[in-house]
Amino acid sequence: MVKSTIQNSIRKLRFLADEITQQQLADEVGVSRQTIVAIEKGNYSPTLELAFKIANVFNLPIEEVFIYEPKAEKSKKKK
Amino acid sequence: MSYQEKQNIVNIFSGLLITGIFTWTVYQRHLEGRFDLTEDFTKWGVLFLIFMGVSMIARIIIYIIFHIINAIATREEDVPVEDERDKLIKLKSTRNSHYTFSICFVSAFILLAIGMPIYGIFIAFLISGLLAEIIDNSSQIYYYRRGV
Repeated sequence: MVKSTIQNSIRKLRFLADEITQQQLADEVGVSRQTIVAIEKGNYSPTLELAFKIANVFNLPIEEVFIYEPKAEKSKKKK
Repeated sequence: MSYQEKQNIVNIFSGLLITGIFTWTVYQRHLEGRFDLTEDFTKWGVLFLIFMGVSMIARIIIYIIFHIINAIATREEDVPVEDERDKLIKLKSTRNSHYTFSICFVSAFILLAIGMPIYGIFIAFLISGLLAEIIDNSSQIYYYRRGV
């Protein structure tokens, strides 16, 4: 599976934001629900613009929503 | 299964169906002696243009039927809006499709160089186009399911 090295805490943040649905978040940032599902699962790394929009919905800086994990990339290369 | 995945599956089968029916019809006419596709190359040009027109019309009809059936089955009338992920998936799939077409195209010239009759190049075009389309839609299904 194509797992990105950019992890996120969207699921947790949705829970903390009164359990807003994936569809509500998708509507807020102007993408499809499938895209939010893919981002949450780590199957898709959003563009910078979309990442900022998502962070903006939760009123948080981008680094609190998306985390870059270079270790995962290194271990992939070793294989 | 998402709308896009269903649409890609429909595209693959409609491509196979339209190309299959069209080539079978043309081949039958060739066997009946209405035209000689091994010698008359202008006929190939005419046939390709007819094929493009027939294919476009058939696809529009199939797409409308698919949309109606999908709307009845899922009770969702709106077509999903294309976002950045959809665009990236389309871009990558188009790249794969172009690679496929290029490989088939070069293979056809190699076969021509080692003695394949000239009309074979037209058949190779048809097969290349069909394969490229299948790869395009299959890639999209893959990227939607496995991530991009």
